[in-house]
Amino acid sequence: MSLLAQDRRSRPVGSGSRLDAAATYAILTVVSAVLAAPFLFMVSIALSSDATVQKAAFTLIPREFHVENFVRVMTSDAQMARWILNSLIIVAFACVGQTFVSAMVAFAFARLRAPGRGLLFGILLATMMVPIEVTIIPQFILFRHLGWIDTLLPLVVPSLFGSAYNIFLMRQFTARIPRELDEAAQVDGLGYFGLLVRIILPLMKPVLVAVGVFSFAWAWGWFFGPLIYLNTESKFPLALGVQFLSGTTTNAQTPPYNLVMVGALFLTVPMLLVYFFSQKYIYQVNLGAGSAGIR
Amino acid sequence: MGEGVDVRVRSVAPMVEKRPTAKPWWTQRRREALWFYIMASPWIAGFLLFMGGPLVASLYLSFTDYDLLTPPEWVGLDNYVRMFTDDPRFWKVLRNTTVYTLLVVPITTVLSVWLAALLHKPLKGMRVFRTIVYVPALVPIVASAMLFSWVLAPDAGLLNRTLALVGIDGPAWLLDETWVIPGLVMMSVWGVGTGVVLLLAGMQGIPPELLEAATIDGANPRQRFFQITLPMLSPVILFNVIMGLIGTFQVFSQVYILTGGGPNDASMMLVPYIFEEAFRNFRMGYASALSWLLFLIIMTCTAIVFKTSSRWVFYESEVRR
Repeated sequence: MSLLAQDRRSRPVGSGSRLDAAATYAILTVVSAVLAAPFLFMVSIALSSDATVQKAAFTLIPREFHVENFVRVMTSDAQMARWILNSLIIVAFACVGQTFVSAMVAFAFARLRAPGRGLLFGILLATMMVPIEVTIIPQFILFRHLGWIDTLLPLVVPSLFGSAYNIFLMRQFTARIPRELDEAAQVDGLGYFGLLVRIILPLMKPVLVAVGVFSFAWAWGWFFGPLIYLNTESKFPLALGVQFLSGTTTNAQTPPYNLVMVGALFLTVPMLLVYFFSQKYIYQVNLGAGSAGIR
Repeated sequence: MGEGVDVRVRSVAPMVEKRPTAKPWWTQRRREALWFYIMASPWIAGFLLFMGGPLVASLYLSFTDYDLLTPPEWVGLDNYVRMFTDDPRFWKVLRNTTVYTLLVVPITTVLSVWLAALLHKPLKGMRVFRTIVYVPALVPIVASAMLFSWVLAPDAGLLNRTLALVGIDGPAWLLDETWVIPGLVMMSVWGVGTGVVLLLAGMQGIPPELLEAATIDGANPRQRFFQITLPMLSPVILFNVIMGLIGTFQVFSQVYILTGGGPNDASMMLVPYIFEEAFRNFRMGYASALSWLLFLIIMTCTAIVFKTSSRWVFYESEVRR
């Protein structure tokens, strides 16, 4: 046993034997195939003809290529362009609101001393544990009184008030920025707002990008809120529209699953793009969360 | 001890004396506090409007009957009593949610640690595998639900056609009372990548010297994994387990979209049930009571995991101290 271990000492740690590497590749190939197969199936269904949908004769490897499905959803058979626009409105409010408002609040919690700050921060942490289901009913009643049901307002306005999770994440990040910078800024005559905008925000770039991406992901795929507040088809965001198109609750006729899958692809692709362009920053923030865990 | 106190008193004294001399009402300290409240005001307002206020209202509503049309009617503890004594659906819902959570959280935890260990190996092409493992976690829930309605379809489904290749006659999954929850579990496990990413980041943080030292001491790869990597990762695993518990207990979209809670309530879970009571049957009072129960369950589970975590979570900094 110890002899074997000595033999291996010259190799880099963790590389193991050639057999080990082969086994790793084999396992990962199988796992990847299992995880990737549903994607291929999604593309294949999206490219199917209506006749194939009727017969449910889908294949894993695409056999027909009805690219016009991607145009049909925009023009004749669905209002997907409208749904995407609605989604973008919700996303824009979420990204701008969540990112910049949360950053400002986080800065206040990390840097400015005030009586009651500790108590407020405790409350902020406690609210992170409250499931949205507890507050959604009174919120619904509130928005109903305001006459906001079946408008996008209940879906965008709350974003402008920041969110506890993002504020917490950003506060932790801001707290690590050296305080000497604050003093230097004050010597230069910058006020607190100037300090935030000129000095702190540029240094917060990784966490700003990360929160922006999380907000994008959340708002782009958000289903529960739109489902509760919206009734009119033309006001739906894409996620709700796709579900509406699939009409899983009615059994009268086969829903246009090829078009539904086009919608599913439209939902998925922006997520992949945003992720790949922001990977670097997310990784930095993950590294912080990963090495700290929950403390 | 006495010396320390002495020093402190002496050092503070001059500052206290100085203060009255520079004493405009508008001190630097007050200015800072004012700016804190200005900058924190969006969150404070949002908290009062969308969190604090609704929490109080929700608690009040849970003691009433309210259908949105007539004013809420105080019924005391009736909603809570009814839940436990007079609502057979509630018990089924609670059972389903528990079974689902107890399947999803352990399976994804073990699988994500195993995958992270494989993906961390310094072999060529790992980037590609890491990407493939993570990508399903990026798919919005509505899209993956649409996809899984065809993966899990009885005859035309991807899964059953694959099983047929090896001679297994697969069940009707989402249409079968026994197999509907395992079907939903599979969909959740598809998104295992979320946890893997954090674990991989955690693995990067393990000092290589630790593993090297163990190798020199004659530890085999298995021992290195269980004696070093796993303990070092345990804080991340704790984070994943808690986030997993909270998220899984609140499962909604895939149930609502794929099964609507059926067949015969076999996949009805707490949040879809709350949704149905509140926004389909307009029983706002009962739904509020259910949501408070959900809150209590989540708090209890999280507290239990935290309490037991001191036995299995290892914090490096505590050893160094």
